[in-house]
Amino acid sequence: MSLVIPLLLATFLFCVGVYGLIARRNAVLVLISVELMLNAVNINLVAFQNLLFPAEAAASGQLFALFIIGVAAAEVGVGLAIVFNLFRNRATVDVDRVDAMRW
Amino acid sequence: MESVLALAWLVPVLPLASAAVVAATGKRLPWGGAEVGILSVGAALALSAAIAWETFTNPGETLERAFAWSPLGGGFVLELGMLVDGLTAMMFLLVTLVSLMVHVYSRGYMEGEARFTYYYAMLSLFTFSMLLLVISNNTLQAVVGWELVGLCSFLLIGFYWEEKSNQDAANKAFLTTKFGDVGLIVGVIVLSAGMLGLSDTPFNFGETIDAAVSGELATGTIVLGMLLIFVGCISKSGQMPLHVWLPDAMAGPTPVSALIHAATMVTAGVFLLARLFPVLAQSALVMGVIAVVGILTLFFGGLLALVQDDIKKILAYSTISQLGYMVAAIGVGGYTASIFHLFTHGFFKALLFLGAGSLIHAVHSNDISAMGGLRRPMPVTFWTFTIGSLALAGFPMTAGFFSKDEILVSGDLWALNGFATGTYVYWVGIAAAFVTTFYMARAWFLIFTGEHRGAPHAADAHGGHGADHDAQADAHADAHHAAPNESGRWMLVPLVVLAVLSLTAGLIGSPFLQDEPNFEAWTATEVIEGTTYPFLAEYAAGAGVVAAEKGPSAKILHGPPTWHLDLLGIVLAAFAGAVLLAWRLYGKGLPDEDPTLRMGPLSRALVAKYGFDAAGYRYVVVPVRDRLSAWATRVSNDVIDGVVGGTGAAAKRLAGVTYATVDQGIIDGGVNGAAFSAAWWSARLRRIQSGDVQRYAGALVAGVVLLVLAFVAIR
Repeated sequence: MSLVIPLLLATFLFCVGVYGLIARRNAVLVLISVELMLNAVNINLVAFQNLLFPAEAAASGQLFALFIIGVAAAEVGVGLAIVFNLFRNRATVDVDRVDAMRW
Repeated sequence: MESVLALAWLVPVLPLASAAVVAATGKRLPWGGAEVGILSVGAALALSAAIAWETFTNPGETLERAFAWSPLGGGFVLELGMLVDGLTAMMFLLVTLVSLMVHVYSRGYMEGEARFTYYYAMLSLFTFSMLLLVISNNTLQAVVGWELVGLCSFLLIGFYWEEKSNQDAANKAFLTTKFGDVGLIVGVIVLSAGMLGLSDTPFNFGETIDAAVSGELATGTIVLGMLLIFVGCISKSGQMPLHVWLPDAMAGPTPVSALIHAATMVTAGVFLLARLFPVLAQSALVMGVIAVVGILTLFFGGLLALVQDDIKKILAYSTISQLGYMVAAIGVGGYTASIFHLFTHGFFKALLFLGAGSLIHAVHSNDISAMGGLRRPMPVTFWTFTIGSLALAGFPMTAGFFSKDEILVSGDLWALNGFATGTYVYWVGIAAAFVTTFYMARAWFLIFTGEHRGAPHAADAHGGHGADHDAQADAHADAHHAAPNESGRWMLVPLVVLAVLSLTAGLIGSPFLQDEPNFEAWTATEVIEGTTYPFLAEYAAGAGVVAAEKGPSAKILHGPPTWHLDLLGIVLAAFAGAVLLAWRLYGKGLPDEDPTLRMGPLSRALVAKYGFDAAGYRYVVVPVRDRLSAWATRVSNDVIDGVVGGTGAAAKRLAGVTYATVDQGIIDGGVNGAAFSAAWWSARLRRIQSGDVQRYAGALVAGVVLLVLAFVAIR
């Protein structure tokens, strides 16, 4: 199977994630964009595992993908908790208006 | 086999330990430290006796041990070591024995003194210093000991420092001997400089002697070095013209005079000459100078005792005269005779001084005109003092007889080699023996016979230079007129011991001991036995002496002493004549005017001490004090202060310039500039910190993209 299609998909997902990360104002959507970028990386890991080490029993690419999914879950838990607290204190989740940590 | 000689280092160390212990804890001890001093010096004496016995019964046994305390490299090693041979053992025995006697005696004599403990610490320290000098195997260590005994002498002469005259006496002694010490140390340096390259240990006695005897050491070095070292001996051993400090040194406590200024320290010069005898025996000039100085001292020093009324000063001048005998003996090749006289003189002169201390203790005055009739109240002092006087006068069969006769015989033998100094030593020595007998008989008659005269001018006597302070003198002002009593047991036991030695110590060097072991074999080293005088054949030929005649005295050792009936007759006649004359003049008590003061110009010269003190005051003290010190003050104020002040001002100005340019300009400028630029940049760069998270993310992504592009471009 050609590697082009999974890599194109991963690139597309990553670019969407980057765009969302930079452009969206809603903090929840920013977090979702981060998840998109992480999953683009997961696709890359799985694709290259099959291409480069097809006979490997340990399947470390897939294994790393599973780790990333787990870590991403934890990360999004922390992130959402921060967003909840932000909302409670400021009554907004607009990241443009959360700029207290500046010079 | 490890002989007792290997323990010799303990002999000086014991008194040193004693000095430290007494100084640290003496005041808390029941006897104020005296017990520590007596025990340790007693132990040192026991060890010395064992060493003396070992070397006496095995003549020639020698032990040298040393370690290098300063390996300077380049064949120049400084040693701390010990050289134990018969000469060392003899000095050990003399020093520790007299020191023990003085330690014991002082327990009674110094009782009640305020500085009793300090006194004992000093005594022990002195004993250590003297033993350090004696045990030394190199000249440098000997100089250290030499200076230390000088220091102890200074401290003990000025023991009663409350009185200005005693401070002056201590200063005079210290400065006069220091003058000679300069000569000594320069001489030592000259000798060692000559030894450089010949030996790794240029100060070593044995190597210096070997090099001198084998002719490796240049003659000029020997002459210059030995003459300079002899200058040190002149001052330390009270030879003319640097004898002036010794009579004044009587300002110290009497036991100190006995130990330091009669028996041991003043003989250090003679000891050093004896130690280096094979070196100085290489030069007729050096021996001649030594002989002349010794002859002048033994005669004119003795004459000075005639006009003294202070018992201690009589003994002091007598010591000068007897030291003159020893030095003269060295100068006429009487090596054995000289150190034999050193040995016996140590005993009988210490006895006389301690006896004088006993008398002073009883009558609270140094003045013999204040004594008189002391035979009955003080029998032990009387008998022991009489024995000491007989030994000093050289009465047959006493210690002084054998040793003094041997010196005269040495002179006689030296005359056979064609040297006039030998003849002078013989005849001047006999004349001085007459003088010695006369002044001792004068003192003896005035002290012991007739009626007790008391001290009418007791206050004057105490104000005098040599007046001995008595602890009880002030406390018991009325005791001046009370009948004098015999001293206590602490003082009498040393007197008896020394009296016995004054009678018997001469026997080991007497004609009774023809075979080894005797004194000559004991104190002779291998070098001395094998050495002859290199200049002798040449000189004797020039003086027209028949070769056969110079045979017996060409060697340094003269062989065992023999009886000289002619000399015995002359000595006895001189003794009898002197005693008879003294009896005629003083036998009936103190004359109205002392006959020794009625000899016209001679008396005036003697009272003025030949003008040495006056000349010394006028030509040394006054110029040094008034002119040299004024000049030095000017130099100090103008030149040195100017240099120091100028240096300071220049340094201050330089510092000002440095401050303005380097510190303020460069360093502060750099630091401030860094701070200002940091502030300037941070004011602009902090605007990046906008707090907008998405702008950070954008910058991050842009950075990654740039890095990837750069990476790809480089590939």
